[in-house]
Amino acid sequence: MLGVGTVIIGAFCFVALFAPWLAPHPAIDPFGENYQRPSATHLLGTNDNGSDIFSRLIWGSQTTLIVVVFATTMVLAIGLTVGLTAGLRGGFVDTAAMRIVDVFLGLPILPLLIFVAALAGPSLTVSILMIGLFTWPQTARIVRSQTLTLRQRGFISSARGFGAGPWYVIRRHLIPSLGPVIAANLVFVAGLSVAIEAGLAFLGLGDPTAVSWGAEISRAVGNPQILIDLLWLRWLVPTGLALTFAVVGFTLVGVSLEPSFNPRSNRAR
Amino acid sequence: MSQTQIPAPPAETVTAVDAVGTTEFLTEAAPSHRRRPPWVSLVSYVVTVLALITLNFALPRLMPGNPIDALLAQGADGAVQNEQTRAALTEYYQLDQSIPEQYVHYLGGLTRGDFGKSTTTNGSVGNELGGRVGWSLLLMVTGMLISIVIAVPAGIHSGWNRSKRADRNLLGLFLTLQNLPIYLVAAAAFTLLVSKFGLFPLGDATTLYGGYTGFAYVLDVGRHLILPGLLLGLDFATYEFLVMRSSMVSELGSDYLLAGRAKGLRQRRLKYRYAARNALLPVVTVVGLQFSVAITSIIFIERIFSYPGVGGYMFQAIGQRDYPAMQGAFLVLTITVVTVNLFVDLVYRRLDPRTSV
Repeated sequence: MLGVGTVIIGAFCFVALFAPWLAPHPAIDPFGENYQRPSATHLLGTNDNGSDIFSRLIWGSQTTLIVVVFATTMVLAIGLTVGLTAGLRGGFVDTAAMRIVDVFLGLPILPLLIFVAALAGPSLTVSILMIGLFTWPQTARIVRSQTLTLRQRGFISSARGFGAGPWYVIRRHLIPSLGPVIAANLVFVAGLSVAIEAGLAFLGLGDPTAVSWGAEISRAVGNPQILIDLLWLRWLVPTGLALTFAVVGFTLVGVSLEPSFNPRSNRAR
Repeated sequence: MSQTQIPAPPAETVTAVDAVGTTEFLTEAAPSHRRRPPWVSLVSYVVTVLALITLNFALPRLMPGNPIDALLAQGADGAVQNEQTRAALTEYYQLDQSIPEQYVHYLGGLTRGDFGKSTTTNGSVGNELGGRVGWSLLLMVTGMLISIVIAVPAGIHSGWNRSKRADRNLLGLFLTLQNLPIYLVAAAAFTLLVSKFGLFPLGDATTLYGGYTGFAYVLDVGRHLILPGLLLGLDFATYEFLVMRSSMVSELGSDYLLAGRAKGLRQRRLKYRYAARNALLPVVTVVGLQFSVAITSIIFIERIFSYPGVGGYMFQAIGQRDYPAMQGAFLVLTITVVTVNLFVDLVYRRLDPRTSV
């Protein structure tokens, strides 16, 4: 599972990074003829605007990658800060932080995302900020619980006994030990952000200027010509597959990384 | 399919579902029974509801711009630009008052079921939502029933035959389904089954001007309900299947099964009467928790099938930048989720005496 997942994610990142060289046509072709059938120049034909469907598929991966990278970084930053602070400080800070996390976890994320995105206006920045702001509590909780267990370990207390300051302990001991746990969690967050971005774009709340798989699916479904010339097979299906593969790739890696680091599942075995 | 919309369940409800992904089910962890006393759930519920109401109040006010300009900008009559009208509108929306005063007024309105007026239809948002809640509920309940019919037997079978061929196939199938975004599956189903082959009606919950009465009306509603309901059911089923399966697997090594075998009970009886019955409990929780997933799924399903529910209403309101309608729909959807979650939490306590503290 790890292998397949890594290959999918690797391919996805490769396509996104090298899109300008890989894509045979620009994302928007102002002079293109619309609804062309597949040919050597247009592998999957062209869409309602005369843009090459295959190229848009490739360009779409870029938008997804941008969202994944920024949203995940944000989740990492907030989750790590809150989790570490709560776990290390304990007491009131811990209780307060965890209550906030509970409230966040109790909120239905997607309606909230839709609501905020609709209010703030569609843009990529808003999508990223929203995904980041609403998916960190899970990470914070995992970081906190791991910090709590790590804190009790001998090497940390001896480092502290030797006079190591909190920053030193965090940098030298906590972060390296937390690394794998956080990595597994972040892979899930990445997969989730792919799906959320596409979902928002599907509802018309993504960046209207960016090429997004979610928006493409929405456009394809709403297109009255979708059943002519097998357009659905050339437009809806590949876009859907690209999206699904990206999500599956992250899920596979996350699933295969997690069990070995999840204390609960280890205990249950 | 649930991947898109796994809204994390409330912290106090279930620990088995709180990984962002689904791995808990693959690791076959027995569901945890550690719980907090009921009052913690209640307090947490009240805080969440207040947070939602406050967010609903604050978010539009945090956004740049002014609601009246927004009203004017969305194509209101040019004549409304004059000072008098502006003053009247300002007074009507209480924008001349301080934020705390507005908040109190807003809370007061909510307690009377006053969600404000839609800026597109000028009708009461409360009434408009009221007419749609029923359809959403119908869709949701149908989806849940279908999901139980699909997931429970499949999960029992899969878990009972752990690691055998049937299990691997079923697990593969449901994991694949889980990773497919619901809007993609629904969009594909709509394009092919409805548009191309015309097997199902084109949307809406009834035939417009169909004039059906009595049994014919019920049939008509059913005809419109079946495909969205089925898709929703599949969406829920993936999650329920995984829980049912892992719960079943955790019963496999039980002493009572060994004793049953020793008594010479038939496999069927052991599988359904013994193991499955004990394994069913976590599924009850999950079915309840599905409500929060359901809420997000119905927004997509109702949008694609133009189903006249709350999700569709919210979507329509977004398209028209109709803020009062959007806020109303948002509030109804989210408060339903947290209320159902609380309910599930409390019911679960009754069902499983081990969880009461």
